[in-house]
Amino acid sequence: MRILLEIWLLFKRKMLETIRQPVWVFMGLTTPLLYIALFSPLLKNLSDSPLSTGGVLDTFVPGVLTLLAFIGGTGAGYGVIGELQTGVIERLRVSPASRFSLLMGTILRDIVAFLVPSTLVLFIAQLFGFKAHIGGLLVMLLLLSLLTAIVSAWSGSLGLILKQASSMAALVAGLELPLTLLSGVLLPISLGPKWLQAIAHINPLYYAVEASRVLGAGTIISPEVFKAFVVIIPLTAITIFWATNVYRRAIS
Amino acid sequence: MNAIEIKKLKKSFHGKKNQKTVEAVKGISLSVKPGEIFGFLGPNGAGKTTSLRMLTTLLPIDEGKVGIGKYDVKKNPSEVRRHIGYVGQLGGADMEATGRENLMLSGRLYGMSKNNVQEQSEQLIDLLDLRDIIDRLVKTYSGGQRRRLEIALGILHKPDVLFLDEPTTGLDPQNRANLWEHILKLKDAGMTVFLTTHYLDEADELCDRLCIMDKGVIVAEGTPQSLKRKISGDVVSIKPKSEHEDIAHIFSGDKNVLDIRTEGEKTNLYVRNGAIAMPEIFNMLKARDIELESVSLSQPSLDDVFLKQTGRSLRDTGMEASL
Repeated sequence: MRILLEIWLLFKRKMLETIRQPVWVFMGLTTPLLYIALFSPLLKNLSDSPLSTGGVLDTFVPGVLTLLAFIGGTGAGYGVIGELQTGVIERLRVSPASRFSLLMGTILRDIVAFLVPSTLVLFIAQLFGFKAHIGGLLVMLLLLSLLTAIVSAWSGSLGLILKQASSMAALVAGLELPLTLLSGVLLPISLGPKWLQAIAHINPLYYAVEASRVLGAGTIISPEVFKAFVVIIPLTAITIFWATNVYRRAIS
Repeated sequence: MNAIEIKKLKKSFHGKKNQKTVEAVKGISLSVKPGEIFGFLGPNGAGKTTSLRMLTTLLPIDEGKVGIGKYDVKKNPSEVRRHIGYVGQLGGADMEATGRENLMLSGRLYGMSKNNVQEQSEQLIDLLDLRDIIDRLVKTYSGGQRRRLEIALGILHKPDVLFLDEPTTGLDPQNRANLWEHILKLKDAGMTVFLTTHYLDEADELCDRLCIMDKGVIVAEGTPQSLKRKISGDVVSIKPKSEHEDIAHIFSGDKNVLDIRTEGEKTNLYVRNGAIAMPEIFNMLKARDIELESVSLSQPSLDDVFLKQTGRSLRDTGMEASL
């Protein structure tokens, strides 16, 4: 099918671009490891009976992966702004390639750029006592890939709308902090007071984090996982539909 | 059939609250024949790029009709995209990829097979002199090299019409002349080329026919020669030593002077025959004891055409707009 070929070609283009930036590859791989190495020890003595390293990792690793999935998507907008400035977007827009393919090329790249370091994190965490449940992890990575797709589509569209890296940076920073704090990425929201837990329920990221923890523990059939997919799947569909429209109408 | 047919094309931009609507293109009509190099000449802000973006499906058309070959831009944009090539002001080559990768991606997106892209690329690499740089990353190219690659990207899929928006802006004189040669080669190969420019010499050198645009309307249209012929005769430019002399007034009643235009401190007298008119002009100035800083005799240029049509010099308006 034509559209699959287009998506493949545009995905390959973005992937090559990523691989050619060694700094990004390096940071993409080390950031999650730094979180685990430098942050997870802080959690050790949080509960009444100090947790084992493995126990800490069991709650912390799913959170870090959700954070990776979220942050992995936010970069798309900067890429779009760079390509607006060099005229690449304009050139692709006068080509017959479908606007949906233009969007999907970047989204798929972001998903791959999320999955590769995540797999590495899981592998290393396992060496330090993280209990890996293959089935649960696969479902978790699927759920988190959808999350990356949502964030990537948002970010790319905002790039097209804002057209400026400075306003983009302000907006991303402004959204990222409350969304991640209110999701329990680093520490479970259940440690917080009731009002905090209540606000978290309007944050889609919260559902992804909750489901990731359950999936990380190896339970696939659970209300948390069900709720997460009920929130994330329609959100993915709506976001991609909207973003395709932004690509169609954008005046670059 | 015409390669491009434009009828009463209009575009307005609506500002934010309280700002008034800007009519960027105010109903232009024109047609371009196959195999022609056709140009839009005008100062920045004349509406050239806006028009071009409507022709290339990048900007929705407010009113009017545009046909590219047999396809209507409004009704069938995807078919139009397949049949045109476009090189924007920004260029659009992918900096993080090599020239060859750029060509491959572009060709494949236009539905060409790998082999077809390879064959066609080889020809373009020779035509546009890209052999030595084609496997390097585009971010290492010079301005002129990048422009040539971008033109290759624009014509790889053998479009019916190639659109070039300010193709030589930002290039040094040597690279400009070099690019002109390449554009003329495209014409020899039978390509229809539609370009915008604010350089007079570029329009003069490249275009078979051109439109002079100003403030969203076409003020003159024709071949560079016919446009210049409308300004019949020669131009005598006089600059007096003292700034306060009213040269225009002295010659306003003179039947030998067809037209008078003041451009800064210079006064341009349009005369039928410069060789005959010059001595008389000198005599008249001498009789009034007016000393001259400089004087020159020249053939009319496209700038004179622009000046006659709009009352402003293209060079000046270009400056104003860019400030």
